[in-house]
Amino acid sequence: MDLAFIAAVFPKLLAGLPLTLSLAVLSLSGGAILALLLSGLRASSWLGAQFANFYVYIFRGTPLLIQIFLIYYGLAQFPALRHSLLWPLLREPYVCAVLALMLNDAAYTSEILRGGLRAVSSGAIEAAKVAGMSRPTMLRRIVLPLAFRQALPAYGAEVTSMVKATSLASVVTLMEVTGLARAEVSQSYRAIEVFLCAAVIYLVLVTLITRLVHWLEDRLSTHRSPALDRSPA
Amino acid sequence: MGEAFTLLGFGPEGWGHALLTAGLTTLAVSACAFACGLVLGTLCAWAKIAGPAALRRAADIYGVVLRGIPDLLVIYLFYFGGRQIVTAIANQFGHTGPVEISGFVAGSLAIGLISGAAQAEVLRGAFHAIPSGTLEAARVTGMRRWTMFRRIIAPQALRTALPGLGNQWQSVIKESALVSVTGLVETLRAVSVAANSTELPFLFFLAGGAIYLAITTVSGLVFRIAEWRAMRGQPAMRVGG
Amino acid sequence: MNPTTVRLTNIHKSFGRQEVLRGIDLEARDGDVISIIGSSGSGKSTLLRCIPFLEIPDQGEVTVGDETIVLTGAGHRFSRAERQKIRRLRGQIGFVFQSFNLWPHMTALQNVMEVPLHVQGRPRAECREEAEAMLAKVGLADKRDAWPAHLSGGQQQRVAIARALASRPRALLFDEPTSALDPELVGEVLRVIRALAEEGRTMLIVTHEMAFAREVSSHAIYLHEGRIEEAGPPQQVFLDPVSERCRRFVRGQAGPVD
Repeated sequence: MDLAFIAAVFPKLLAGLPLTLSLAVLSLSGGAILALLLSGLRASSWLGAQFANFYVYIFRGTPLLIQIFLIYYGLAQFPALRHSLLWPLLREPYVCAVLALMLNDAAYTSEILRGGLRAVSSGAIEAAKVAGMSRPTMLRRIVLPLAFRQALPAYGAEVTSMVKATSLASVVTLMEVTGLARAEVSQSYRAIEVFLCAAVIYLVLVTLITRLVHWLEDRLSTHRSPALDRSPA
Repeated sequence: MGEAFTLLGFGPEGWGHALLTAGLTTLAVSACAFACGLVLGTLCAWAKIAGPAALRRAADIYGVVLRGIPDLLVIYLFYFGGRQIVTAIANQFGHTGPVEISGFVAGSLAIGLISGAAQAEVLRGAFHAIPSGTLEAARVTGMRRWTMFRRIIAPQALRTALPGLGNQWQSVIKESALVSVTGLVETLRAVSVAANSTELPFLFFLAGGAIYLAITTVSGLVFRIAEWRAMRGQPAMRVGG
Repeated sequence: MNPTTVRLTNIHKSFGRQEVLRGIDLEARDGDVISIIGSSGSGKSTLLRCIPFLEIPDQGEVTVGDETIVLTGAGHRFSRAERQKIRRLRGQIGFVFQSFNLWPHMTALQNVMEVPLHVQGRPRAECREEAEAMLAKVGLADKRDAWPAHLSGGQQQRVAIARALASRPRALLFDEPTSALDPELVGEVLRVIRALAEEGRTMLIVTHEMAFAREVSSHAIYLHEGRIEEAGPPQQVFLDPVSERCRRFVRGQAGPVD
């Protein structure tokens, strides 16, 4: 292997890391907010629940790439939209990618949240009710903390899968890590070396996130396993 | 509205035939990839459960690496990397210029490799969910290992693995859209071409989405029915993965 | 005579077509310890759960302290004002569940402090001090930072009692507090409840521990098929009931009289 070439490629690819991270952070935070809204909608009424279910069904049943294309290329079909105030935004590949990633993430996250909520024991809720807690207090102090702990492992997997999904933004011309790798290959024709370098970058990133989530899980779930007797000082 | 029907229909103006063929290609790539994944997954699950230490380690590393890399990069590596290698070999034998390789083959292998890592986890979980008593009961009868695997382990594990494998199949279908980057005319590629030439991108990408949704929905139902049939008379078992 | 703390008037409750409570009247005055006994399915737990509206009675009147709620029929829809009233009513009760129901993501101390701090909005220092005192009272001062999952059933139930006490309730309600415990852990919980009775707390206890109930209570009620079949001082209910059915029940349950 040509080490000098690899040493030259790495910094070029790393230049795309901020874009990769900003795509991931924006779409994950937007997705989380949307997922909470979807959960609220689901709890609000029958019609709301039907809408939430339909939303999840659509976004989980189709490939993310087609969702990106639908927003990036598809919206241009409507002249009314092309002449609206939003167009300068919706024309931007960055905005479209974030929008698609966010909408997609919300569908998966709301399912994870639903699983977490279902795992909150009815006993804990009864104890809160009987103490005279109002619904908002109960949600904030008992239900959401318990649901969050329960959902954390699945949510950790969702975070890493979103980080990986940001690579699809390269298909709509964004120069994040994968996009830069693609450009580099079209110049040097050394696909294996370049794509392996990119793979290493993602692998390190994903490993770091996995570690972080494990650490968080450990801290938050002392209450679950009697094997770990760790009380805070 | 009428125009949309004509364009999506099977008439001379319509893209219906193209989309149908593309949908079948999506199914074919997915089926090949899933089969590759199942073979790889079974081997890895075996390595993780009963394999020698070196193999177990290799299976673990394979799992961690494939779960840490974007699917798109794996496809690029197989397609462009594969082309690079094949070209290099061909040039050794006096051929000049780049050699194209099949997007279908590269894509199925790449997605099979990705799915294999996940399927290994599903199968391993299913194996561990088998009540150990049933294995002991088989052992005391003096059953041979292979008979035990065939008659006792595999039927129980596959039952429990069905939901997880169903999820994997759904993922494979969605990942197959990425193979469009190799130029293979599967669903996403076909609707992109149609969107370009008709200048109706929303219509055609929406139609593409509908094709995927139809495939995932129908296959979801098939797996649901299979689960229901397999689970008749079975005690409830819960497995992660 | 002491003022009334809890009063139930003509409580009816059905689950589907099954009538579980068929017109119950009950009054607990300040300092009363009332034990409620009966075979399983007699409606005793449902009755207790009707007081803080964990089950919503179909009909009747529930009073706790100065809050009274009147039910007019099954499927009653509560107005906003009524919901607030229910919350205030609940604030005056301490409820101890059969299965403890501690909040698993909070330590023992945090469980006890939660309601005074986040529902009643009392100052943190005061809540903390009082919560520590309550834990000491149930003999668990040294377990304040333990997670519920790390405590034995008996310890969890004692934390739950401390939690119920921490909101300064007018009445304590116990729903079979020892039924989920291993036999060797029952004693420690009963000791705590007995100490509370001796302090003069107002309590309603649903229990299967006949000897204990006879000893601590000032009144006893025997429930059968959703009606009060026998009520009176414990000597009467446990030793010389009027109702033949009640007599058979206490004989069958009590085992050897100590």
